[in-house]
Amino acid sequence: MEKLRVLLVDDEIMIREGFKRLFDWEGHGCQVVGEAADGMEALTKMDDLNPDIAIMDINIPIMNGLKVIQLSRIKHPDTAFVIVSGYDDFSYCREALRLQITDYILKPVNYEEFGTCIDNLKIALFQRKAPTQTNVPEERTITGITRYLQEHLAEDISLSVLAEEFHLSSQYISQLFKSEIGVNFLAYLTNIRMEKAKKLLLSTSLSISEVSERSGYGDYRVFTKVFKKSEGITPSQYRRDFWESGEKNL
Amino acid sequence: MLRAEIGLFLVMAFIAYFYFSAEKKHSLLHETFSALLVAVLIHLVLDGITVYTVNHLDTVPRLFNGIVHRLFISSMVLVIFLFYQYISILVAEETGKPRKLDLAGRIFLVGGILGSLLLPMEYTQTPIGNYSSGPYMLMCYAAVAFYLVLCACLMLENWQNIDKKKKSVIGAALLIEFTITSLQGYQHAWLVSCIGITLMTLSFYLTLENPDILRAELTEQKMSMLYLKSQVNPHFLYNTLDTIRIQAQLDGDKKVADLLMQLVDFFRLSVKVDRPIVDLDEEMELLEAYMELMCYRYPELECEYDIDPELGSAQVPNFILQPIVENSLLHGLKNKGYRGKVSIRAARTRDGDLEVCVRDTGSGFAEVRKSAIDRMLQNYAKEPPKLTGNSIGILNVQKRIKLLCGKKYGLWYTENPEGGVTAHILLPLEEEMQWKN
Repeated sequence: MEKLRVLLVDDEIMIREGFKRLFDWEGHGCQVVGEAADGMEALTKMDDLNPDIAIMDINIPIMNGLKVIQLSRIKHPDTAFVIVSGYDDFSYCREALRLQITDYILKPVNYEEFGTCIDNLKIALFQRKAPTQTNVPEERTITGITRYLQEHLAEDISLSVLAEEFHLSSQYISQLFKSEIGVNFLAYLTNIRMEKAKKLLLSTSLSISEVSERSGYGDYRVFTKVFKKSEGITPSQYRRDFWESGEKNL
Repeated sequence: MLRAEIGLFLVMAFIAYFYFSAEKKHSLLHETFSALLVAVLIHLVLDGITVYTVNHLDTVPRLFNGIVHRLFISSMVLVIFLFYQYISILVAEETGKPRKLDLAGRIFLVGGILGSLLLPMEYTQTPIGNYSSGPYMLMCYAAVAFYLVLCACLMLENWQNIDKKKKSVIGAALLIEFTITSLQGYQHAWLVSCIGITLMTLSFYLTLENPDILRAELTEQKMSMLYLKSQVNPHFLYNTLDTIRIQAQLDGDKKVADLLMQLVDFFRLSVKVDRPIVDLDEEMELLEAYMELMCYRYPELECEYDIDPELGSAQVPNFILQPIVENSLLHGLKNKGYRGKVSIRAARTRDGDLEVCVRDTGSGFAEVRKSAIDRMLQNYAKEPPKLTGNSIGILNVQKRIKLLCGKKYGLWYTENPEGGVTAHILLPLEEEMQWKN
């Protein structure tokens, strides 16, 4: 897989240095190709470098991060944007959702856990490239597998189940995830389950244990733990924050 | 007949004494209520005087009789106006909307008082008692009708936004006044208007203006001021700390970086006081950040958690566990050189409530101190809002639990047989609770 090219945008040099040097970009198949310290510079660098990933602080001089994203969205539809913000405020999240931001992380950034975020980005980039129409005769194996996963994510699913379904070896499928998407199978499965859970939390009034079940977690305690690790807040907080910020904005 | 007026006056004087001697927040609402109490007292005195003079028309000079009657009716218009003013401020505080009807209220007040001072009056004598009558009398009925309509408009317009309790108090007061005024209008000689006014004042005093509530409000205000004072732009604080953390990590000092991360987490979580109620999980997160820092400072300090994972989303008042644990550290374990263990346990009780226990292996209470703490926690409501001293933390926790969860719940201490003490916090356990008081 080609290395993903990363642009770092933050007005504090220390934060950029931290990102650059404390996270194992190489190990995650990425490369930092540029940095910017304000909104104007960020826009220019976006056009010059056309990065795959832009990591963006919201509160930056001249033009805020959300505005930069809004302006460069049209020219760079394939770039995945990650917002890093000290604003522990869900209203930004809503704005971010509207701008189709791939991920949102809060300061202080734990560089060891940043890998999960990169995995999510890779999955998002993969899903954006994947063809939307189904039943193409010469469909790629990985597309078939991911579609199967999407349809069966509520079930008890594992590499061996996939192996049986697709008449391939588990090792081969595992490698396929690594080479085609750049993440391991489990990270992919967790990602789509969390996406499903978030969608259910915001668009339905199902109880947490029902959401847990429909997202493939028989035990809602496990679900809560995984959710907390991935989103930073518990499922019930997630739902409540969303509605509360909605009420505030009305 | 005069007995009723004297009795009511004494009741109101008693209430006024309590009200004025209670410490309270300076707010327009309370000032209006104070003015109302004074006006009601004056009104009751005038009422008593007129009840006497109207039945002794031949002995009391006519001019004097006329003056006290006119003053009596104007004081009634004023009292009813103040009721309206009080309710309108209450509604404005609740909804945050400006008071639009005030101008109309004031114009009517001036007109009403002028009317009761200047319009012609006469006396009607009946076998069961005399009363004053004539056009001037109409002013008090007009005032009641006018202000009741204004209040009803306020209520209807803001129906959705007024707290249920306040709605019922206002409603009850309006109903009382309406009933009594109708009775007075039905039989003029009964002279019952003073009863309506007293009952109306009483209903507000007992529900919204009693010393307990005033004190709770004051404490809340002082606490929030204290909090604001300490809030030196939290973003600056944790952004700077974060910069230092990254520098430490770049320099290869992982330990310092981790500690700073905990500190940043602790600040970030403790600044989130905008919600009075949080998940138990969030409360535990704050506590863990705090304990991790303390355990690093005192390596012989140990901490143990036993939280039933099903209780993670239980709703608890915010910032109650950390002060309790801090208290255990400062008053129990400090005496042992910070050697020992704090165990935090959260479980469902047999009655379906939530009990959180903070058990320490510290030095325990001295004999006198245990009973002092017990007394303080039991008489939490009467304790003045102290803002200094060691026990402010736990007293504040106790007050907030009682205020937010109800009298049944709260905090108490027991001594462990093997030394040290256990703090028990009993809280209601309901997933989605209606926390609006």
